[in-house]
Amino acid sequence: MDRRSMMKFAGAAGAVAGLGALTSPARAAGKVTIALIPGLTADGFYVTMHKGAIAAAQALGVDLIYQGAAEWNVALEVPVLEAVVAKKPAAILIAPNDKQQLIAPLKKAFDAGIQIVCVDTFIGTGVFQTGSGDADFPVSYVASDNVLGGKMAAAALGKAIGGKGKVYVANVKPGISTTDQREQGFKEGMKAFPGAQVLETQFNDDDANKAAAQFQAVLGRAPDLAGVFGANLFSASGAANGAKQAGVAGKVKIAGFDAPESIVAQLKDGTFEMTIAQHPAEIGYFGLVAAYAKVTGNPVPTAIGTGFTVMTKANIDDPNVKKFLYSSK
Amino acid sequence: MTTAAVPAPSARISPLAQVARLRAWLFLILLAATFEVWTRIANGASFVLSVYNLQAIAIFASAPLMLGLGQTFVIISAGIDLSLGFVMGLASVVAAHAANFGLARLGMGPAEAALFGIAVGVLATVPAGLVNGWLIAVLKVPPFIGTLGMYGVSRGAAYLLAAGMTVAVNDDWYGAIGNGRLGPFPVLVLLTAVACVALHYVLSQTRFGQHVYAMGASKAAASRAGIDVRRLTMKIYLLSAVMGGVAGALYTGRFSAGAPQAGEPLLLDSIAAVVIGGASLFGGSGTIWGTVAGAFVIAVIQYGLVLVDVEPFWQFIAVGGIIIVSVLVDQTQRRFLGGRVDE
Repeated sequence: MDRRSMMKFAGAAGAVAGLGALTSPARAAGKVTIALIPGLTADGFYVTMHKGAIAAAQALGVDLIYQGAAEWNVALEVPVLEAVVAKKPAAILIAPNDKQQLIAPLKKAFDAGIQIVCVDTFIGTGVFQTGSGDADFPVSYVASDNVLGGKMAAAALGKAIGGKGKVYVANVKPGISTTDQREQGFKEGMKAFPGAQVLETQFNDDDANKAAAQFQAVLGRAPDLAGVFGANLFSASGAANGAKQAGVAGKVKIAGFDAPESIVAQLKDGTFEMTIAQHPAEIGYFGLVAAYAKVTGNPVPTAIGTGFTVMTKANIDDPNVKKFLYSSK
Repeated sequence: MTTAAVPAPSARISPLAQVARLRAWLFLILLAATFEVWTRIANGASFVLSVYNLQAIAIFASAPLMLGLGQTFVIISAGIDLSLGFVMGLASVVAAHAANFGLARLGMGPAEAALFGIAVGVLATVPAGLVNGWLIAVLKVPPFIGTLGMYGVSRGAAYLLAAGMTVAVNDDWYGAIGNGRLGPFPVLVLLTAVACVALHYVLSQTRFGQHVYAMGASKAAASRAGIDVRRLTMKIYLLSAVMGGVAGALYTGRFSAGAPQAGEPLLLDSIAAVVIGGASLFGGSGTIWGTVAGAFVIAVIQYGLVLVDVEPFWQFIAVGGIIIVSVLVDQTQRRFLGGRVDE
């Protein structure tokens, strides 16, 4: 499906470029090529981000290269980056797999004249163009504010449990910047509910089976468990399955993060109370626009924050909410 | 499967070795006793005499156990099947697509569509198993490398079929297979139990099972004794892939979605279960009941530590430590009994 849409895009881009040749000689003189390197290819979040980048590329008449590694691993991402650099794009949008280890490879690309935009994750501190430090060369950082996403989850879950009872965070593993920030935001947000108690976080290594057993074990110890915040898809669906197996589905409220299409049925049948959808297509769209603006000599904000949508059973059929489901189509 | 009146391997083993063979079970009992005391102190409740705890642990053990059953045959034959991690995911995705296809295009009811999904999902693993067997038996590729290649191929295929996402299934029957109960018994656990009994029978009571042990002990000797080692290897890896397929198809029911990465985190747990259960990675030894105990050892530790509220980072250390202790006990026992020591 991806390849098909890529080809469709290539055709459309060609058509746009053709029109450009008639109307605007400046653009035809050199068609801009921009590359997108996702954190990993096999993930609905990045698939959707790619879709947003395609839309922007079509609108601007940009050639888009999309290449990435199959898993989250610096040792796999760097060779992909080097191969992309060899194609000499004008700019690279990248979700770096590590804050520190990607600095040198990206600096090399930057020194070769390629503009860098960080999407979703960042290098260094994520604060760019300050004129200090070794990692301030990227043009901009385009991402969801994950701390804010965690806070939104806390606000919605806290309300759903009536502001009291025990909750915990089901998380992947420590050290991933985005999920760590969601947990941090959630814990900060829960402070608004003094009647609620946040228990120890449970790490499941992205194993839904383990997340389910952990839910059942926490419930076994704390029968007054009121809610769980699953910091990513498998953490949340694992906890939700634990609730189902324990016969407390719908009673213990599960808040998820991210929004694949399978979430619709699970919101409707009460498996999930809510989920926080990021807007990956916006990240791809604005990331590409930022890169294009820089390449064509226009000013660019150094940070672009994209939004979230809280999806619930009540609003999921609303087209304005539904459009934020992650989709490759 | 040919049923021959051959003696079970246990019949030829000394009483002392018999006790040693139960090592994983003794270990499991010891662990359960520890948690019994611990939960009584920490939570004021029984660990073992709780239907709730037992159900949760059994469900948790089911998924890695399903992978571990086929893996037991592979490891006894002195091989390893790394492809299971994504063969399971491939089956999960194919099963989801097939169930949806059955519902939407073939006019099937939810029950038929669920069975259709499971059948097609399991069938999808047959080529993977045959290719694994062919690589190892005919092209003499080391199992570690051959199945690692298939790990990659099935991973790519699963992600392509799922377009990098998960594939949702809305089928109540399928969901009931994954999450339903018959009396106090979760359906998932009952199905796993049936698989355990069936494969225990195959391994201990059939000629095929005997040949697996013989091949693991010495491939050359097995070949000289007239066993068609090539055919046997194909069958073993096919069995392993099919069990991965069953695990994947059940995963789809349980989570109402096919996920390419379903089996990735379970692969190492399944191998650990086989090894804790007393199988040697050098082949020739191991039992299904050992693997069952191994899977429960892992499940009891992981579940128990959360139940008594041990800090998460200590859980990593505890699980790793127990695997090391278990293997050390195994090595010591082999030395003591004069068996082969893995060095």
